[in-house]
Amino acid sequence: MARQGQWELIIGLEVHVQLNTRSKAFCGDATTFGAPPNTQTSPVSLGHPGTLPRLNEAQVRAAVKLGLALGSTIAVRTAFDRKNYFYTDLPKGYQITQDAVPICGGGVLPIKLGDQWKEVGIHHIHMEEDAGKSIHDQDPEHSLIDLNRTGVPLLEVVTEPELHSADEVDAFMSAMRQLVRYLGISDGNMEQGSLRCDVNISVRPKGSTTYGTRCEVKNLNSMRHARRAIAYEASRQIALLESGQPVGRYTLHFDAATGRTSPLRDKEAAHDYRYFPEPDLPPLALSASFIESVRAELPPLPKALYEWMRISCGLGDYEATLLSEQLDTALFFRALTQHTPHHHKAANLVINKVLPWCKAKGITLSDFPVPQTSLAELIELVVVGVISHTVAWQELFELLCEAPHQHPKDLAQAHDLVQQSDGDALKAIATEVLAAWPDKVVAYQKGKKGLIGFFMGQLMRRMRGKADPKRANQILRQLLENCQ
Amino acid sequence: MSTTAVRPRFRSLRQVRHALDTGQLTFEQLVQYYLHRIATDNKRLNVFIEVFADEALRRARQLDDRLQHEGLSALGPLAGMVVSLKDVLCFKDHQVTAASRILDGFHSLFSATAVSRVLDADAIIIGRVNCDEFAMGSSTEYSYYGPTHNALDPERVPGGSSGGSAVAVQADMCLASIGSDTGGSVRQPAAFCGVVGFKPSYGRISRHGLLAYASSFDQIGTLTHSAIDAASLLSVMAGPDAYDATCSPQPLPTFSDEAWASVPQARIAWFAEALDHPGLDPRIAQLTRQYLEGLRQKGHQLEAVSFDLIDYVVPAYYVLTTAEASSNLSRYDGVRFGWRHPQARSPEEVYTMTRTAGFGAEVKRRIMLGAFVLSAGYYDAYYGRAQKVRHLIVQRMAALFERYDFIVMPTSPVLPWHLGQMNEDPTQMYLADIYTVLANLAGLPAISLPAGQVEGLPIGVQFMAAPFREKPLLEFAHSILDRENA
Repeated sequence: MARQGQWELIIGLEVHVQLNTRSKAFCGDATTFGAPPNTQTSPVSLGHPGTLPRLNEAQVRAAVKLGLALGSTIAVRTAFDRKNYFYTDLPKGYQITQDAVPICGGGVLPIKLGDQWKEVGIHHIHMEEDAGKSIHDQDPEHSLIDLNRTGVPLLEVVTEPELHSADEVDAFMSAMRQLVRYLGISDGNMEQGSLRCDVNISVRPKGSTTYGTRCEVKNLNSMRHARRAIAYEASRQIALLESGQPVGRYTLHFDAATGRTSPLRDKEAAHDYRYFPEPDLPPLALSASFIESVRAELPPLPKALYEWMRISCGLGDYEATLLSEQLDTALFFRALTQHTPHHHKAANLVINKVLPWCKAKGITLSDFPVPQTSLAELIELVVVGVISHTVAWQELFELLCEAPHQHPKDLAQAHDLVQQSDGDALKAIATEVLAAWPDKVVAYQKGKKGLIGFFMGQLMRRMRGKADPKRANQILRQLLENCQ
Repeated sequence: MSTTAVRPRFRSLRQVRHALDTGQLTFEQLVQYYLHRIATDNKRLNVFIEVFADEALRRARQLDDRLQHEGLSALGPLAGMVVSLKDVLCFKDHQVTAASRILDGFHSLFSATAVSRVLDADAIIIGRVNCDEFAMGSSTEYSYYGPTHNALDPERVPGGSSGGSAVAVQADMCLASIGSDTGGSVRQPAAFCGVVGFKPSYGRISRHGLLAYASSFDQIGTLTHSAIDAASLLSVMAGPDAYDATCSPQPLPTFSDEAWASVPQARIAWFAEALDHPGLDPRIAQLTRQYLEGLRQKGHQLEAVSFDLIDYVVPAYYVLTTAEASSNLSRYDGVRFGWRHPQARSPEEVYTMTRTAGFGAEVKRRIMLGAFVLSAGYYDAYYGRAQKVRHLIVQRMAALFERYDFIVMPTSPVLPWHLGQMNEDPTQMYLADIYTVLANLAGLPAISLPAGQVEGLPIGVQFMAAPFREKPLLEFAHSILDRENA
């Protein structure tokens, strides 16, 4: 049994972000996911003789956007290279990528581990084109090739070797998915392959400052697989080292059926990709004004919004995490706080009412019909005691969603939802309740103080929830004490 | 065996258009004439791989119809120009094979930008002509379709790689041919065949639809009898193209009758190292010196300058072009189009058997050279160093063009050789590119002009200008060409 506790796991990631541009990286082909095989191709993506690439500016914008969001340095002059290898789903026999001068260098992605933030260093981001898909399991005699994906633009984000566990990798991938969705550059969907990662893993004795030999596990398309691959690979390497054997530098394939990794190719058979500058695309000079125009499009980022919710709004970790998970939710909440000082109630309303309502209706938050000002008014009615929380969150919220342009107060009055806080009226009902349950009154007086909840329930039922709960509670207690 | 040269019926578009305009000629008669010329000599010379006879005649009749109703002035600027295409240019729904088995039967789905533009200008395309496989070679012997013969002496090569284009013009099978020039492939065969070969600046004409050999060197060029015809083709084909990111936005030259009539006085440099080079045939050296003396007597200023990089140009050129070629030719794998080895079963077999049998020896030699110079551990020593040489050459040429209008040198250090003579020693053939590769390394426009004969074989003299200075180069070339070629 490997003694994992004495070893430190070192992990670096190569994350592939498939961009959601309408057309491919170097030609006009469409990029819709799930189109019938080989329908989104052209002479360029098929590598026909005489065709040349032309750069899709949307890819460059997306790369700069991600770079700015990660705090990377944007290269003023960047260039493309060719990575040469033969594969049946790579029509040109080379992939256009960036090797010598990637578009972004450095930067950090903050990831949240429990209550702590950790900044994971980014080595660089480069642009490249995707290959096609080879399908080996649909025909007994042939491999099938779908070239729809050929030439779809990717960003490859290469991290520093600064992750130390599957949990950290999970947190990193979640943060990356969240960020690319915030930026609107990718749908970040691991199952559809629009977010993929290769994991570089090595182990070293705790306290050591040199790196062990690393292995690369290719193309993990779900976090569950990534976790299993990391766990397997860590034990394998530790077991080797503990038995005095070296770890070989391999590129590994993870078999989801067995949960094991196996060599894809060893160092000797490693590809020599023969990188060289892509002569068909001139080097790209990025003007300061271009970079600034991209910066102007940047939305507020997840961590900033999370911290604002925690610090300025006083929300807890759970609420802030939930509300900052998606940009539209965070911005919806932020807009709502412009209209009400009651941030906790606002958070509660968004989390428990607005989001579930949208989900049930199958609409996005941007199509939510009720104006922010009305939601703020709804909150205000509760705070000042005009309507009970329960009534506001249930009946009035539903009414408001049906008639989004009416004032909540008008709706409450029209539907007779305004809360009774008039002492005499409450007292009359409370007296009725106590009179109807004399044995429970006796029990209360003998010490079963928990029965107050029962009396409150009866009172609320009789008043159809419109009683001011604080006031009603007060009156019930007074009556019970005085009945003796 | 030597035969006398065919005397071309027309030596310029201007002559053709005059005949059309005055009713002495119809488009149909013009095409019939060239079809007759092809029928007479093609078997012997192996120039055309495919003749688009019906299509050319159909187009000719349409043009005749328009000529009758609208007059010549209503037709495009290339109306009357019957051209052939080197077999590396895409012409929609026509075969294009780069004279290689590996593309046997391949039809292009689109037309090269240059091809669409000459068609839009009412030129007639009469067929596609032979070349060295993937434009790699200097003799048009390395073709899947067999060698092309020089019309002046069919036992000798026409040069290459655009040898089919040069002979098509030389043997009057068309008025002009569109070729490509990566290291002299238009200029050297022009010199070997006694015609005008013109390569514009890198980036002047879109490479979209030109089958790539070495992307940062390739440029479409022309073979004609005259500088004016080269200019007419350039004006039509040149200019920015959304399909080629390396195509230059530089303003296009415009040519006028007044400019053609002028006789500019030029400042011309020649390289001492070039004319004294041990590889230069002394007879060519002597004739070139006489030619330069003739220019001096016409009032041009000629100065010898030193160019000590001359022995680096061929090595740098072959390192860089083979590197790019090794990558550019990876797409020919038998997977999606073209020829596939009939016995190949597994993906590995499809690759290795198709490429082994589909490419000829010279192409495979260059692919292997290119893969080697890019491989891990050798990149810096070869590719990286050659890039530095290229950079130095660009700087040196830029400095020279601050003081001189043109640089002159022979087009080829040797006379057209006998078929088969160079096959045993490819490096000997590579070294014969010494004077032409410079223009491609530095992206310069260059033109080869007929400059006399040595023992009945033509020689060429080459002029180069600064990038995008095609207009003064062509006007100067026109002014010094024999009146017969003007």
